[in-house]
Amino acid sequence: MSPGWVVVAPAAGAVFALAMGARPSTGWVGAGFGLLTWLLGLLVAVPALGDAAGTRTVLTSFPTGAAPIEVAFVVDSLAALMVLLATTVALLVLLYSVGYLAGERRRASYTALVLVFTSAMSLVVLADDFFVLLVGWEVMGACSYFLIGHYWERFEARAGAVKAFLLTRLGDIGLLFGIFVLASATGSFSISAAGEAAASGTMSTSQATAAMLLVLCGVVGKSAQFPLHTWLPDAMPGPTPISALIHAATMVAAGVYLVARLDDVMAAAPVARSVLAVIAAVTMLLAALFAVAQDDLKRVLAWSTVSQLAYMFAALSVGAYAAGVFHLVSHGAFKALLFLGAGAVVHAVGGTSMEVMGGLRRRLPLTFVTTTIGFAALAGLVPAAGFFSKDAVLGGLLDAALHEGSWQGWLLLVSGLLTVVVTAAYSMRAWLLVFFGRPHGADVLHEAPWMMHAPLIVLAACSLAGGALVLAPDVLDPLGRGPADLVHPVLAIATTAAVLLTALVTYAEWWRVDGIDPVARFGPVRRGLFAELGVGRAYQAAVVRPTWALARLVVATDRDVVEPYVRGAGVTAGGLGTALRWLQRGNAQVYVAAVVVGALAIGLTAGWLGA
Amino acid sequence: MSVLFPLVVAALLFAIGVYGVLARRNAVLVLMGVELMLNAVNLNLVAFDAYLRDVVHSGQVLTLFVIAIAAAEIGLGLAIVLMVFRSHRHIDVDRLRELSDSAAADEAIARDAGTPTCAPGSGA
Repeated sequence: MSPGWVVVAPAAGAVFALAMGARPSTGWVGAGFGLLTWLLGLLVAVPALGDAAGTRTVLTSFPTGAAPIEVAFVVDSLAALMVLLATTVALLVLLYSVGYLAGERRRASYTALVLVFTSAMSLVVLADDFFVLLVGWEVMGACSYFLIGHYWERFEARAGAVKAFLLTRLGDIGLLFGIFVLASATGSFSISAAGEAAASGTMSTSQATAAMLLVLCGVVGKSAQFPLHTWLPDAMPGPTPISALIHAATMVAAGVYLVARLDDVMAAAPVARSVLAVIAAVTMLLAALFAVAQDDLKRVLAWSTVSQLAYMFAALSVGAYAAGVFHLVSHGAFKALLFLGAGAVVHAVGGTSMEVMGGLRRRLPLTFVTTTIGFAALAGLVPAAGFFSKDAVLGGLLDAALHEGSWQGWLLLVSGLLTVVVTAAYSMRAWLLVFFGRPHGADVLHEAPWMMHAPLIVLAACSLAGGALVLAPDVLDPLGRGPADLVHPVLAIATTAAVLLTALVTYAEWWRVDGIDPVARFGPVRRGLFAELGVGRAYQAAVVRPTWALARLVVATDRDVVEPYVRGAGVTAGGLGTALRWLQRGNAQVYVAAVVVGALAIGLTAGWLGA
Repeated sequence: MSVLFPLVVAALLFAIGVYGVLARRNAVLVLMGVELMLNAVNLNLVAFDAYLRDVVHSGQVLTLFVIAIAAAEIGLGLAIVLMVFRSHRHIDVDRLRELSDSAAADEAIARDAGTPTCAPGSGA
């Protein structure tokens, strides 16, 4: 079966959902197409798991005069994993959305956009041509813009949507030129050809470095890494299921996927790897620290996504390929779970601020249990999937630091271990603030309907059992590029001890100050982190305000310099018309007299001049 | 015979025609003025045809054309005069001012058009 069907099915579903309009059944239609896509994804992906070479299908080829653009798909183990992840999360999100959007008017556009999003992500992971990948990449950018701005009546939603679009677009310029560099190095737009050229050494180091540095611009923008990290938390005014979709399986995962896909080229470009390592080291710790100070549950989760993505980039930047892909998959499961759980909490409480939550343990028992599993996986507690994948990542970093002695390995290892502690702290804090302590707000809370519960249960099961992937390293890394072992017992014990200790300290602090926010007493440090160290404000001052000033200058120039000429032309013509109007008196004989006099005058003048 | 005599006669005829077109108020007389001017031109054509001894007599041929066209033109002109008389009950060109571009003329047109059957707001 052609892998193209995984792309076509959700796109067809989007058309269908739009045609359905705002009927209550539109959500079910979306879920139905999600199921169809998931089944097609299974058919395409399952046979390819563990397949290193993959099968390549070329649908059609467009001659361009130079390298042709081929609509080509490749299904190998990485693509298969990503298709499974994307279609599964999309199916669960669509099912969840049926309940979440029960009272919503804009069902049709929402369902259609989620389906297009899924289609675009499938296109990205299946494409074997940079331009086909770019199409999916940009369609995802557009869909995320529309979905973040779903509640466009709210200012933050509009601002967040524009910010997400502009920042990812800024990186995409780099990606486009990176594609050109790769194409000029290999003479084709094929992704697998780029990998082969780099692996066989026909691509020079300088070409690989230039290409990957440019591609990293796009990746950093899409995956919200430092310094383009500010858009992801501001994308939170969008609907919560969308956050689950964007953070777990699509959009931000696409950046990690692209780096993993181009791992061979990365290996040929040590400078690009070092740049990625520094970006990852800075991002993971910074984002985790930001997460500690936030009041808004969804913002905490958004920063945690940024931080966890940095883990994946860290693993990929030291060549721990399997660990990076492993963490991508397990993070996809538990972050989707956390966001959908947060959605259930928001649904019940009616707000995203953690100040209005608290004591939800007894009121939302199912959400409590599933979200607890999610937080355990995020913090990296045994036996959740996050424990195994994070252990694999840290093990890869340790290998790089100890055995290769690379400074990138040491930097990432220190940053990664610190981030483990901070992650445990913010997970514990959020968990305590949401589910424990004194209840706030409304007394009558009810659990969400079953279509919102089912995805939570499925994802909780995946988050618990996902660690089993550690037994199948062939699926994660069929070429055996990374370190062979994914399990590092000593490191695992050490990090578990650190996580438990941090959680205990956080709990003690929370208990000591009687259920108040445990970071409240950090004062100025907390305020600085809450303001995200002013990075957003600095961008505001350095980029946004000058742009506005320039825009105002252009407007003023148009109004005060260009417009007078335009108006002047109109006013002059109008005045002339008014003056000439006076001549048209209605007496035909006067006109004839004017003609005669004029003809005489012309004749006499001509005669006089000719004489 | 000098060519001057027919030229002077033609000039006189043309001047009378111009006077008729510019100064007469009766539309039929204005048309007669037009005819006088045309015939003045015809006289010129014939005179120069003879004076220049044109072997193909193009002046005379052109005169025949002008006569034919003048006949058609006067037929059209008289038809217009007839229609004007039917609608206005006069053929005084000084009073035919509907084509003037003035507020007064606009009002006059609006008044003339304002028959009870089609004026806005006056329907049954």
